[in-house]
Amino acid sequence: MATEETKMNSGWADQDQVPGIKSELMELNMGPQHPATHGVLRLLLETDGEIVYKVTPVLGYLHRCAEKIAEGINYKQWVIYTDRFDYLAPMCCNHAYVTAVEKLMDVEVPERAEHLRVVAAELSRIASHLIALATFGLDMGAWTPLLYCFREREVILDLLERIAGGRMLYNYMVPGGVRYDVPDERWVSDVLEFITMLETKKIKDYNQLLSYNKIFIGRLGNVAVISKQDAFDYGCTGPVLRGSGVKFDCRKDDPYSVYHKFDFDVPVGMGEMGTVGDCWDRYMVRVREIEEACKIVRQALDSLPGGSCQAIELKKPVKVPAGAAYSRTESAKGEMGHYIISDGGQTPFRNKVRSPSFCNLQVIEKVGVGQMVSDLVAFVGSLDIVLGEIDR
Amino acid sequence: MEQKAIYELLAGKIGAAALGFNDEGVESYAEVAPEKIAEAALFLRDEEQLGFNQLMCLSGIDWDGFDENGKGKSVAILGYSADGKPETSDRVGEGDLGVAYSLYSHEKKHKFTMRVRVSRERAVVPTVIDVWSTAGWHEREAWDLLGIRFEGHPDLRRMLLEEDWVGHPLRKDYQMPGQWEQVPLEGKDMTASPFTPTSTPTTGPTPGAEG
Repeated sequence: MATEETKMNSGWADQDQVPGIKSELMELNMGPQHPATHGVLRLLLETDGEIVYKVTPVLGYLHRCAEKIAEGINYKQWVIYTDRFDYLAPMCCNHAYVTAVEKLMDVEVPERAEHLRVVAAELSRIASHLIALATFGLDMGAWTPLLYCFREREVILDLLERIAGGRMLYNYMVPGGVRYDVPDERWVSDVLEFITMLETKKIKDYNQLLSYNKIFIGRLGNVAVISKQDAFDYGCTGPVLRGSGVKFDCRKDDPYSVYHKFDFDVPVGMGEMGTVGDCWDRYMVRVREIEEACKIVRQALDSLPGGSCQAIELKKPVKVPAGAAYSRTESAKGEMGHYIISDGGQTPFRNKVRSPSFCNLQVIEKVGVGQMVSDLVAFVGSLDIVLGEIDR
Repeated sequence: MEQKAIYELLAGKIGAAALGFNDEGVESYAEVAPEKIAEAALFLRDEEQLGFNQLMCLSGIDWDGFDENGKGKSVAILGYSADGKPETSDRVGEGDLGVAYSLYSHEKKHKFTMRVRVSRERAVVPTVIDVWSTAGWHEREAWDLLGIRFEGHPDLRRMLLEEDWVGHPLRKDYQMPGQWEQVPLEGKDMTASPFTPTSTPTTGPTPGAEG
């Protein structure tokens, strides 16, 4: 039952009502077990027919309190928990965490390790964006792109397995470097070959199948527009912010690792199929980011320096000097930040994780109001959330 | 803009509520009195030279048992002991609670960090949800996990845990529950060896004996 205030805000009270007949909004549960919510997300909707008047996300179904676990184990042990935040792009999460720890430690990471990190993170980003396209297409009723995207993602998982040992959860980066060097020269050429194939052929396929599909555009153009102001206000980052036409990317604007060495563009939404900041813009930013990620991977591998890839002995736990710092990186979903407080020991005193999906999802409380239920499905899909990092 | 200059602008606005500026560590921060935090936030966002339009992160902190000397001797948290039972302690938490606000300006490209400290007994901080809407969920999370109450927050419910959860897990004196909704949360007894023989093996036929 909606409160009077909600009715007034949403314009519901103005609607034509039959005198003498009392009507009320219907409560509808979307999720937690619903394929369109991309995980165990529950959206509590208040609807009048097809129109949504209030969206209340209910979170926590995947909560593991990883921040509490962090306070009980040492810095290196916690890397595996970062894998489990954004399980579709674990390398990006690894990267975010080790960057934060290294900021406090002030350690010089070997160039080779930084290059390998960038390659791994960008491959992970491509894999994550492929899933985003695939599942988004699925939400909109397009089956075929799913199979295409998963086929290419499979290749990435194989490549990452060869360098890190795992297919989904890698535990690849450690403070001070990466765990393993490139297995052999073949790996490098295989990655380059895959990247070339993706750039020249596969992205065109996705565009033909999905991006410029008339029905797809019809479902997404002008739907769920996030204005620039809302995007800043709700702390949106990543493709969601860029979809609203803001040219901001931590890799460019707040450079970390060796991203300053590479030449790449930051694609933004331009309102080609409607308004700037609609679902299609957010979707298209991801497609274009795949191309940019390919460019970065190629440059990073072409200029791969020699030498060691660990600055600190692997088996030794690290000691972090006392201090506190917030450090952020651009993960596949947006700005992944860690606020770490160290007391000078081997265990963080506090490790707050600022996950991009957590902040991006919040905008649904505002922009979701007034949408059709079916458009809300498109909206959630276009936000590309992962519940592992929302609930942590 | 330089961190120090930002702090001085802020101090000019809120006066004595700006409690100090620390730039010794990796990241400098300003200490602000909790009563004035909403005012300070609004100033930082709306002042033309500052323009902090993004709240990157809002972290709740429990300073209980923190080793100020930087020797890594903070009080350890309570977890589950080796036999799977929750660890208990008679120690009463006593340190302050705190909140750290990490800000960024998309226009001016500068960052700033503010911190507030409140006593454990009266952990109340004014909300900044009117300044940055994203604070809404961050504050709910800080309430949920650390028990910091944000005054003026329109919807301060638990964010990640169940509505009826007891306690705030990220507090340093939090004791792990032994059970939840009649389900025991005890871990596996790790002290017992998995290879302990349960009975003496019976003697089988010796190979080749029956020949």
